[in-house]
Amino acid sequence: MEALFAPEEQEAPTGPLLRVHDLRRSFTVSGTRIDVLKGCSLEVARGEVVAVVGQSGSGKSTLLNIIGLLDSADSGEHVFDGVDVTRLREGQRARLRNERIGFVFQQFHLLERRSALANVSVPLVLAGVPLVRRRAIARELLESVGLGDRLSSQPHQLSGGEQQRVALARALSLNPALILADEPTGALDKASSTMIMDQLLDHARSRNTAVIVVTHDPEVAARADRTVTMSEGRILPAEEE
Amino acid sequence: MSRLLLALRLRKVFPDVLRSITAGLVLAFAGSRANVARTILSCAGIVVGIGALITVVTAGDLGERYAKAYSESVAGRAATFQVDLMAELEDLEAFEADLQRAGGTVVSLSTWISGPVVRSGGTPVPDVAFAAVDASLSDIRRLEIVQGRWFTEEDQESLVPVLVVNEELAGLLGDVTDVEIGTRRWLSARVVGVVETSAFESYPQLYLLRSPASEELMSSLSSSEEPLMLSYSVLVPPTDADPDSFLYRLASASWRWGAPTENIDEFVSVWRSDDSEAVDEMLGYLSMGLLGVASITLLTGLLGVLNVGLVTVRERRRELATYRALGASSLTLFVAVVTEAVVVSVVAGAIALTLCLAGAWVVDVLASPYLPSDVSVFVPPEAALVGLASAAFVGLLAGIIPAWRALRASVVAGLRE
Repeated sequence: MEALFAPEEQEAPTGPLLRVHDLRRSFTVSGTRIDVLKGCSLEVARGEVVAVVGQSGSGKSTLLNIIGLLDSADSGEHVFDGVDVTRLREGQRARLRNERIGFVFQQFHLLERRSALANVSVPLVLAGVPLVRRRAIARELLESVGLGDRLSSQPHQLSGGEQQRVALARALSLNPALILADEPTGALDKASSTMIMDQLLDHARSRNTAVIVVTHDPEVAARADRTVTMSEGRILPAEEE
Repeated sequence: MSRLLLALRLRKVFPDVLRSITAGLVLAFAGSRANVARTILSCAGIVVGIGALITVVTAGDLGERYAKAYSESVAGRAATFQVDLMAELEDLEAFEADLQRAGGTVVSLSTWISGPVVRSGGTPVPDVAFAAVDASLSDIRRLEIVQGRWFTEEDQESLVPVLVVNEELAGLLGDVTDVEIGTRRWLSARVVGVVETSAFESYPQLYLLRSPASEELMSSLSSSEEPLMLSYSVLVPPTDADPDSFLYRLASASWRWGAPTENIDEFVSVWRSDDSEAVDEMLGYLSMGLLGVASITLLTGLLGVLNVGLVTVRERRRELATYRALGASSLTLFVAVVTEAVVVSVVAGAIALTLCLAGAWVVDVLASPYLPSDVSVFVPPEAALVGLASAAFVGLLAGIIPAWRALRASVVAGLRE
């Protein structure tokens, strides 16, 4: 598999993994313009775990969506892995998202009526990994999150914690450079939350994968290398947090 | 240089496109398997639509074959002229030769006669239609031999009149090895074959071969008060099937057989007897009607699948957004949604085809007693092809709009659902 955005093909990816600067994003709802991001700036180093906290409506999810290439900023600088993503075409953004970014959502977003193995395989399918190889990778990842005996279970047959572990295995399937976790423990009990965060951070640190985790949970935020706070569409300077 | 750049660009882009399409196909098949209820629902509409389409095409084909069988059996192949003599000619042999010179590729005496009676074991069979013919009639009309054979040149040497009877008459005669025929006196005759009783003419029929052995019988008919008026079946090329032109050519040599050129109409009449033109016209209207029915059927099926496709996309916003989030490109998603629709349609088309094949078999078994032996009910290959191609086409059309809508949907909004 030839990766378009493999680090060796980029110009010396020695800088931060992610750099967003002065990002602005607004939406028009019923004729009223709402500025959600008002000049948001953030840098994340390779392998760094950053927690993003802030009140609801502060723009955390919008920032995460833009960083994850699910949305685009109206203006501002956005460089990921040495690539200016604002200049990429839709297909290139999709491929970058597929190969270099993993997602863990609060609501898991597993495909219904598909087995755990099939769910973990989806990014591999999109990356063009052959069937046998992707099954092996998916199996290995599910075993690594403790679901080796639930390979053929469908989402509705799994608990919330188990579903989130499947989602975590899926996020890790292509060994991304960055994992974006939007309230990954928001729908889980305390024991499951702890287990998910343990596994997420263990995998990330062992693979030098950066993690940006949006959370309201102080315990989750406390496990990050760094916590940034968002308020009214901006990331507050450290001294104001 | 620009070509080189284009080639390099294609080399870079092509694997991406191929990967997107492959991924789309894999997701499509996985999606079809995972959403059985949706797949079955889509299938049901298509099965009905394509089934109706195949049935319509099959019915059209059956109608065409039936009409052709009828036309060729009753009135001759395309194009057949009936040439009737309305007066006795001086030289019949010269006239028959001129029928060929005027453009007839096959000529056969084909005269219905009344007077003779046929019997077997002493009991005459009433109401038998007699036709005096030549062996070449089988090249002009469709005659299905069910037993024995049709006349051959060797039968000209027979010392007794040679006959072919239809199944109806063979049944009434009982023993066809002991047959006599006659008007004023009985002559032994030899039945060499039995033809199928036409579905269109189910009365007892007898074909008498014109030969030296039947000359006495024919003469006895001619010498009666009302002379025997001879008729001929003449096969001509369909491209040269104008009776007036034929008669004009024939008249140019009328002196050879003793008829005045200027009054040829009083001696000879020529008319086209085969129904191929009428059948073609009828089939033209039938085809247009069937095409209309098929179009409406197909449109109904298309709307059904389109509806299911649109509902599906609406219901699957979250699933499709998840695919996008995990790295599915627009092309991948487009291919996945369209392929799902096409696969479902083609599978439904195959199911419809299977049902139609089974249905045709049942109808053939039930209807065979009422159909000519060479007309059976089956799904013709073109109907199968039209059905499957239409299914794929409907799937493609019905998949494109939902796929387009899926691409326009916001990924973020989809993930929030």
